[in-house]
Amino acid sequence: MSNKKNTVSMSRALVRRETISGYLFLLPSLLFFVGFVIIPMILCIYTGFFDSTMGKDKQDVFIGLSNYAEMFRDPVFRRALLNTFIIVIVSVPTVCAFSLWVASAIYKMKSPALSFFRCVFYLPVVTGSVAVTVVWKWMYNNYYGVFNYIGTKTGILENNINWLGDQRFALWCIILILFTTSVGQPIVLYVSALGNVDPSLVEAAEVDGGTHLQVFWKIKWPQIMPTTLYILVITTINSFQCFALIQLLTSGGPNHSTDTVMYYIYYMAFKLYRYGYANAMGVVLAIFIAVLSALQFKVMKSND
Amino acid sequence: MKKKTISKILSVVLAMSMVVPMAACGTKTGDAPANNTSSEKVAEGTEAPAESTATPTSITLWTYPIGSWGDSATVDGLIASFNEVHPEITVTVEYLDYTNGDDQINTAIEGGEAPDMVMEGPERLVANWGAKGLMVDLSDLWTAEAKSDIYESVEAACKGADGVYYEYPLCMTAHTMAVNRDLFEAADALQYLDEETHTWTTENFVKACEALVAYGQKNAGAVFCAGQGGDQGTRALVNNLYGGTFTNAEHTEYTVNSQENIKALELLASTPGINFDSSIVGGDEITLFCNETLGMAFCWNVAQERTHKITTPDTNFEILPMAFPSDDGEAELCGGIWGFGIFDNGDEAKIAASKTFIDFICNDANQVEDSVKASTYWSVRKSLADMYADDELMSKYSVFVPMMGDYYQVVGGWAEARTAWWNMLQQIGSGTDVTTAVETFSETANAAAAAAQ
Repeated sequence: MSNKKNTVSMSRALVRRETISGYLFLLPSLLFFVGFVIIPMILCIYTGFFDSTMGKDKQDVFIGLSNYAEMFRDPVFRRALLNTFIIVIVSVPTVCAFSLWVASAIYKMKSPALSFFRCVFYLPVVTGSVAVTVVWKWMYNNYYGVFNYIGTKTGILENNINWLGDQRFALWCIILILFTTSVGQPIVLYVSALGNVDPSLVEAAEVDGGTHLQVFWKIKWPQIMPTTLYILVITTINSFQCFALIQLLTSGGPNHSTDTVMYYIYYMAFKLYRYGYANAMGVVLAIFIAVLSALQFKVMKSND
Repeated sequence: MKKKTISKILSVVLAMSMVVPMAACGTKTGDAPANNTSSEKVAEGTEAPAESTATPTSITLWTYPIGSWGDSATVDGLIASFNEVHPEITVTVEYLDYTNGDDQINTAIEGGEAPDMVMEGPERLVANWGAKGLMVDLSDLWTAEAKSDIYESVEAACKGADGVYYEYPLCMTAHTMAVNRDLFEAADALQYLDEETHTWTTENFVKACEALVAYGQKNAGAVFCAGQGGDQGTRALVNNLYGGTFTNAEHTEYTVNSQENIKALELLASTPGINFDSSIVGGDEITLFCNETLGMAFCWNVAQERTHKITTPDTNFEILPMAFPSDDGEAELCGGIWGFGIFDNGDEAKIAASKTFIDFICNDANQVEDSVKASTYWSVRKSLADMYADDELMSKYSVFVPMMGDYYQVVGGWAEARTAWWNMLQQIGSGTDVTTAVETFSETANAAAAAAQ
């Protein structure tokens, strides 16, 4: 009895010690998380209810939900929201599908070839945004860009197209760049996930006469589902937060055709000093991201 | 048990080792958050002489790239001269660029770490930070001598709507346009401009564009409108063609929706070879002009030619700077004025030291020419009008200085109006009716101006 009591109290002490150790290890990250995520988040929600701007003697004025009401009357915000959704809706499925296709094609390759392809697709991810956009800007150039050069030389284009300066093409050009910079990580993750699929299950399915498609959908797909879910959520968040490409390439133009919510938040906060309005937009963007991510979780879980 | 204790101690040590550097970083950041960047250059003053009774003071100067004021070697030299006279004041300089400079300063202001001094133009110092009550009144620097020597238009630009001087100016330039003289000669278009006075009429501008296109130069010029970079060029072009203005004389209202401006925009939209390009800004346009893709540049001044000659010495065409075309041949150019403003950080000693620095750089008889030359522009003082008499390039461009028109960039809501301007050009470029686009601009810009009053 006494021994049992000792064992229980020892295990409690052990649990307590391990818990304390665990929290101590968490502490540095927690400090960063609280300082750079939780507190700014609270401040963002709070400031969204105020008419807050820069100025020595300017007092923030409480205006309730006026910023939110203004937002949905603001045609530029509505356009930015629409553009953001177009980017998400086009970018997320194409990035996932393309990554899966490439990963399926390369994951069985021998190490040097596999590393080569992983490098090729991962290179735009590790290259700085500024360097990437400079190269793309040159390729899209209205006067001597490589796309116009090839297009006119091969007869596909009659005249040069102002890719980034024409509102019919600008958003699609941005989506293309975003696509190339987004596929690297999903490809690497899918290669890893496909490599971890239990080969005995695949072999058994093949022995039972399963086609390649059946083997993929019935055996591999369920096993890479957690990876797919992660990729979907991350790509969705990245697409919603598309900012650097817009700032460096188009500043939201031409004629607001590439404005995104993130860029509009930046413009309102840092160019017009409308901190309250910008924060309110940030809250709305966060809600959209949260809802869409939750939906993805739910749909993918139900398919699991 | 012992093993567990060691494990616990180890975990604490590891956690501490991760937290302590963070705390250390935090302390360091707190000490000098805004200035602690690798790009900063500290120009240490010489040791204060033993007999000096002045209190040592450290001040910070953040400067935009105004000629060589963006070059640390040049600025260090200027500060060394200052420290020979005022060893008690240490000046720390941070170099900004026009892409991120505003964001850096705004972030510093919001963080309570604004620099003591900033070097820029009235559109920021007066119309923006001055109007927001963030700048110090510099009236005491504006002595009777200064007022009599500095151009009146410059003085007016340095004063806010409340009559307070928020800037003390050092230098100025007139923004011009430029044409590829060789191309014009080949296209027989030189006949349409006056090379001696560097002026031309609107009618001749259109004829020149037609001649260039007929010669095979598809891209005579580009009304660049991807962003605000270099937008003074497009504003001056539109305003000059038929004598329109950007604002009223009182600088309280935007007047872009005048018949003159609408007519000018319609003319540009229909002129052969002139393309409203939503994919380039002023800097891109300069590049395209220098590599001979474009026949003329609307974003130009003496600094561009100087830079171009340094970076591309083997250029095989002659650059001819021109005033913007106007219906009567008399252009009103957009000016650039640069000088110093002081942020009101509540420290009287730093404010006094900053004023001492500005007074030395801008007013000291032995120093002011070097300070102005570092900018590569002209002095705002009439008494120094001929300081570039021996400089061929500056002499060539000095013809434009008297053509400087009203400095209207101090109107309220300027930031919003600038964005509305290039948005308007983009709309026109994509086929929107000129009058509709101009009215949209006016509504946005004037609402911003009214809100700022």
